[in-house]
Amino acid sequence: MPDVKRCVITGLGLVCAIGNDADECFESALKGRSGIADVKCFDTSNCYSHKGAEVDIATGDLASGNYDRTTALGIKAAGEAIADSGLNMDSEEASEIGVILGSCIAGASAVEKYYQDKENGGKGSLEDLKAIPASVIAGNVADYYKAGGITANIVNACAAGTLSVALAIDLIRGGKGEIFLAGGCDAFASLPFAGFHALKALDANECSPFNHSEGITLGEGAGVLVVESYEHAVKRGAKIYCDVLGSGVSSDAYHITAPRPDGEGQMSVIRRAIENSGLTADDIEYVNAHGTGTAKNDEAEFLSLKTCFEGNGNVTASSTKSMTGHCLGAAGAIEAVLTVKAITEGKLPPTTGYTDEDIEALKEKAGSVHFIANKPIEKDIHYAMSNSFAFGGNNASIVFAKDPKAIKFNASKHDLYVTGIGTVTGEYSEDTGDYRANIDSDTFKAYGVKTAFLRKLDRLSQLQLLSGIRALEDAGITVNEDNENLIGICIGTGDGPMTEIANFQKGIIRDGVDKGSAFAFPNTVYNAAGGYLSIFTGIKGYNVTIANGSQSGLQSICAASGAILFGYEDIMLATGTDECTDIDDELYTDLGLKGKDGFKLGEGSVTCVIEKDDSAFTRGAKRYAKICGFSSARDTSGDRNDNRRLSESALTEALRKVLAEAGMKPEDISCIYGFGNGIGKIDDFEKEVYKKIFGDGIKIRLVKQDFGEARAASASLQFAMLARDIDEGRFESGIAVSYGTSALYSAVLLTKA
Amino acid sequence: MNNEIAEKIKGMLVERLRIPADELEYDSELFGEDIGLDSIDSIEIVVGIENLFGVDLSGASKEDFRSIETLTAYVEAHKED
Repeated sequence: MPDVKRCVITGLGLVCAIGNDADECFESALKGRSGIADVKCFDTSNCYSHKGAEVDIATGDLASGNYDRTTALGIKAAGEAIADSGLNMDSEEASEIGVILGSCIAGASAVEKYYQDKENGGKGSLEDLKAIPASVIAGNVADYYKAGGITANIVNACAAGTLSVALAIDLIRGGKGEIFLAGGCDAFASLPFAGFHALKALDANECSPFNHSEGITLGEGAGVLVVESYEHAVKRGAKIYCDVLGSGVSSDAYHITAPRPDGEGQMSVIRRAIENSGLTADDIEYVNAHGTGTAKNDEAEFLSLKTCFEGNGNVTASSTKSMTGHCLGAAGAIEAVLTVKAITEGKLPPTTGYTDEDIEALKEKAGSVHFIANKPIEKDIHYAMSNSFAFGGNNASIVFAKDPKAIKFNASKHDLYVTGIGTVTGEYSEDTGDYRANIDSDTFKAYGVKTAFLRKLDRLSQLQLLSGIRALEDAGITVNEDNENLIGICIGTGDGPMTEIANFQKGIIRDGVDKGSAFAFPNTVYNAAGGYLSIFTGIKGYNVTIANGSQSGLQSICAASGAILFGYEDIMLATGTDECTDIDDELYTDLGLKGKDGFKLGEGSVTCVIEKDDSAFTRGAKRYAKICGFSSARDTSGDRNDNRRLSESALTEALRKVLAEAGMKPEDISCIYGFGNGIGKIDDFEKEVYKKIFGDGIKIRLVKQDFGEARAASASLQFAMLARDIDEGRFESGIAVSYGTSALYSAVLLTKA
Repeated sequence: MNNEIAEKIKGMLVERLRIPADELEYDSELFGEDIGLDSIDSIEIVVGIENLFGVDLSGASKEDFRSIETLTAYVEAHKED
């Protein structure tokens, strides 16, 4: 990629416990003003910790009062970023603006309300039910502001906010958009509080990162950055804060909650981000550290920073979580905003809470890295980095610059192939009326998965692990020291680990916030499945989880293809996974989507191995099909208050773009694997659009009639079956198409290898 | 060994930690390779035992967590009737 597009930050929005806008938050951070106080929004009297960093605005006063707290915080920060960037959302330019938001707990407040109502004998409100999945957040924010570009929800727990900005850069550089609102949002809720309380990971007092390190203090908030191509920003005369140069993403492949003590994954991500930004470690002058305040994080991070920046002599670091609390999926975004303010104003915020004695102790631990304690420092800096390390062993890092050097990318144009397929599908049961997968411990033992590992995994993670192992086996790939950093993972899921989330919440409603299950909590995060896959297989590369309705199973293939084309990895496992348990059954029945006039629910997981040409040729890999194009499109036509609306124009645009990328015409396409699920309105809509574009003779294959509505797993299955059909000579070429909330469509075009 | 207590502990381990019942004997090494419990599981055991018997395991040694037998002995010794 010789001509890499410059990406710049042109707008900022922030809300958290230390302020209601970016300026107020930054001023508080410089003054060392902490937002941590006693928790107000639920009763913590039986808990050993009562501390939290809550935003002092009632949910009803945010975003017209019509959204759950996580989305409402996101809407608030996005609104500030839009205004700050001078974007006119009533003009044509709004139709191009995409939204990528990270979240860890998504609609956890809605989960609590929904099950509390049911516990009290009520029905649970439909509005709460619709707000539960992470899949709806970015679409709802985009719809609120009439932003018509593509959307994505990144759900890699505490690294989600950083990954969202990283994905925005990649999409812009990959030609998939010019401008994105990227960031993250999470609300203060009983679910994560009870979880971290159960793990004994909360500090009884205010958290003390890089100091006493006795645990975290949870916070809430949202950060949103306008990430834009330099050309686009200049053309519209936008104010430019700084460049965002590049990112790094890696997996620990170690433990579902704890970081590697040797800091290997953290160091890998720091080095990847620096390299992808065309810099060296000596260039970095400020690091906004992950700095949660747990002993395990802080020890590993001291080691990582000291090792990576050995010989730098000029680097400073701080953890602003000592003031904002740990805002989970919003944390990386909040810290990115504070880092942009730091680099542009030349004022670096401190970690707070040190006594004189603590500062002496800090000097011992810090080595040559200057950890900023209690008071800000004024320093004209050019390059700064923000790091996030999450549950599941997911690490992400981004680099900002005041005046960028020429960015060097080692990536050049490559063909991509499907070189492995692993599937787990459901079988219909008259008892449940669903398609459920028939898996047990013997299924896993056949692949060497021991009971001790398997028992930790929830249903979603088990489905994902099985298809992942099968795909690697099918591709003939053994993960070893030589390739572990050249393989990455991109998980797509519509509903995530909904069973674990619901059961954990029901447990604390029944037994109290102080009685959460330490065993169950790690599986309530959407990226646990990707984490376990990396831990079992030893894959240490890129790792992202996208939750965006059914089309997540295709959006994962688009993101995975991007990760290879940008030179991050040679091989990506792109997946679609969704579970069907009694909980999923209950939720879809309550939504009115399952049963009579609805669909039959399914579950499963499909993992496809996407591989770069030279890697596939060198290995002599079997090639099922060649990926000739991938696209996503969305718009705001129709009723924006209905996030389940259909859009002919957006579906048509996704197909137009994928054909254009492949350099093909509608008449070149022999088959479409569609998303029809048995709901008449959706099926008729889809057929009509295809007939208009491809003519009456186009063959349409629907997988859901045989395997149920398995959401992201269905979308991935469409792709996998098309690849097999092409390999076996049934079709020359075809397109897999799927849809998500807020009229988002994705399409991937395959031809003969 | 009090079989009633041991059976309750086994049931709790099976339910809370998803250990297959047919692979769990009273003398199985809980933190050994086969069952493979870790620090998060030990937190869960502390809560489970407290809920079942009102016994606080925070003063227990690593050896007390070795198996269902040793946990049963600890509960028997510290249970208030």
